[in-house]
Amino acid sequence: MFFEVSALSKRFGGLTAVDDVSFSIARGEIVGIFGPNGSGKTTLLNLICGTLPPSGGRLIWKDQDVTGRAPHQVAELGIVKTFQNPQLFPELSVIEHVWIAAHLRLKRMLGPRRIATLIKPARDDGKLQQQVETVLRLCRLSEARDEPALSLSYGGEKMLGVAMALMCEPELLLLDEPATGLGHNEISNLGEVLRDLRHHGTTLCIIDHNVGFLGELADRAIAMHHGSKIAEGTPSAVLTNDAVIEAYLGRRHA
Amino acid sequence: MRAELLWLPLFALPLVLHNEVALTILVFTFILGMLAVSFNLIFGYTGQLSMFHAAAFGIGAYATELSMTNLGVSFWTGAVIAVFIVSVISLCVGTVCFRFRLKEFYFAIVTLACSEIVRLIILNWSGFTNGSLGINLTDTPTLWLPGRGVVPIVGTRMWYYLALVALIIMVSVCTRVVHSWMGRNFAAIRLNDELADTLGINVFRYKLVSFLIGNAGAAVAGAFYAFYLSYIEPNYLSIEQSLAIIAMVLLGGRQPVAGPILGAFVLTALPHVIEFSAELRVLTYGLILIFTILLMPNGIMGVVRRQRHVF
Repeated sequence: MFFEVSALSKRFGGLTAVDDVSFSIARGEIVGIFGPNGSGKTTLLNLICGTLPPSGGRLIWKDQDVTGRAPHQVAELGIVKTFQNPQLFPELSVIEHVWIAAHLRLKRMLGPRRIATLIKPARDDGKLQQQVETVLRLCRLSEARDEPALSLSYGGEKMLGVAMALMCEPELLLLDEPATGLGHNEISNLGEVLRDLRHHGTTLCIIDHNVGFLGELADRAIAMHHGSKIAEGTPSAVLTNDAVIEAYLGRRHA
Repeated sequence: MRAELLWLPLFALPLVLHNEVALTILVFTFILGMLAVSFNLIFGYTGQLSMFHAAAFGIGAYATELSMTNLGVSFWTGAVIAVFIVSVISLCVGTVCFRFRLKEFYFAIVTLACSEIVRLIILNWSGFTNGSLGINLTDTPTLWLPGRGVVPIVGTRMWYYLALVALIIMVSVCTRVVHSWMGRNFAAIRLNDELADTLGINVFRYKLVSFLIGNAGAAVAGAFYAFYLSYIEPNYLSIEQSLAIIAMVLLGGRQPVAGPILGAFVLTALPHVIEFSAELRVLTYGLILIFTILLMPNGIMGVVRRQRHVF
C-alpha cells in the first residue's frame, strides 16, 4: 500500500476535530477531500504532515508506520503539503523561496558530503539551478523570479507555495484549498499545473470545498463532516450522496 | 570592486598611522568585531536573540588561560581547547532551548539565565578562577612567522596584524556559511520556521549549528581579547557585555556579514573620543540603540548601501 490513514483521530480538549478517519491513497491517483468549513479537513492534513500529533490512529507510508514524525521528517519521506493561507519568507524573492525549498534535493543528492560544499562550492549547483528553473516554469513563475514574493498576487503566492512543495520532490503532494481565493484564470492555470504533475507521477491529495474544481480533477473523492468521513467513491457519486448534500445544504424538507 | 579589497588599506594603515591610541582602538575593534560578527550569525541570520554570547566569550577567555596554566599548553592549543569547551556547553544550552522550541524572549531569557549561571560559577569558584579579582595573565602567546621563527606576540602592531588576520578569517568563514545552502536554511528559519519545517529543513539541527558556530567564534574572540588585555575577570560574562554585542550588531547593520564590525568600531572608539564615566557610557549605548532602531533599522551599513543581501 502506498499511503494509508488508519483510524486517525484528533481531540482538542472536548472537541473531536478528526474522528476515526480511515482511507488509503494509491500511487498516481488524485484524491479529493471535500467538506464544509470546520469539517476537520485542514486538521486531517496537519495530522498527516506532522504539524499536529494525532490523539489516536496510525499513518502507514509504504508499509512503514510513520505516525508521530516531525514535519521535516515527513517531508523527507516524500509527503509535502502546501498551506491554505500562503506561507512565505518575507523579504525574499520568488527564486530565493524555491532555492530554500531545494534543501531536500541537495540533501538527497549529496548526503553528508554537502558539508564539504561549505568549503568548496558544489559542482552540482548547476543541476540544482536547472531544477529551480524548471519548477518556476512549471508553476508559471519564471517572469516573476526576481520579484519580492510579497509583491505577488494572492494566486501567485499560492503558486509559489506549490512551487516550493514541488522543489521538495514530493511523491505525495497534499494541497490545502489550493483554489480558494483564486480568480477564474488562476484556477484553470492551477488545474493545468496539477494535471502536469500527475502526468509526471506525483500523487495528489487535494482538500477543497470548491466542489466544481475538485470534481473535475479528482479520481476519487472523500467527503468529511464534523470530523468524520461520511462518503467515499467517485466524485460524482460522492457529490450526489444524500449525506454529503445534507452536510453542505442542510436537511431536505419534504 | 570586490569587497575583499576593502581590507587592503587596513594592512597598510600601521605604516602611516603611528598613533598608539588609534591603533589600540583598532585592535579592540577587530577583536570585538569578531565577537559581533559571530553573534550576528545567530542573531542577524538565524534570528535567535541569544544572550549567551558574552558567556561564550568569557568561557573562551577563561578556558584558554586555565588550560595554559593547568595543562601547560600553548596559547593556540589553549584556544582550541576553549573552542571545544564552549562548543560542548553551547551544545547543551542549545539542545535544551531548541528542543523546547524556545523563541524570541523566552529564548533570550533562558540563555541569559544560563549565562548568569556560568558567570556565578566563575565568580564563586575562587580557588580555580580567582573569583572577582580576576586573573592577571603573565604568559605571552607566541607565533611562528616564516623567516623569523617563533616570536612572542608583543606590541600593538603585532596584535594589530594578528587580530586583523583573525577577523578576516572569521568574516570569510561566516560569509561562506551565509551564502551557502546552510545560510539559506538559517534565513528560512529566521523568516518562517514553520514553513521551513514543512519544506524538510531540520529547524532544530540548523538552529543548533548556527548557535555552535557563533559561540565558537565568540570563544576565539575571548581568547584574543583576554591576552591582548592581559587580564580576565567575571565581568566578561556580564549582561552589559551581551547588550554591548547586540548594540554593535544593530548599529553596524546585520547585513552584510562585515556590518557589525562598524558597530564595534563606533562603540569602541566613542569612549576614547569623548571621556565618559561608566554610567554615562551605558546611557549613551542606550541612546545610540534607540536612535539606530528608529532612524536606521538596518544600521550604518543599511544607510551606506541600499543593495539587498539576504543569504
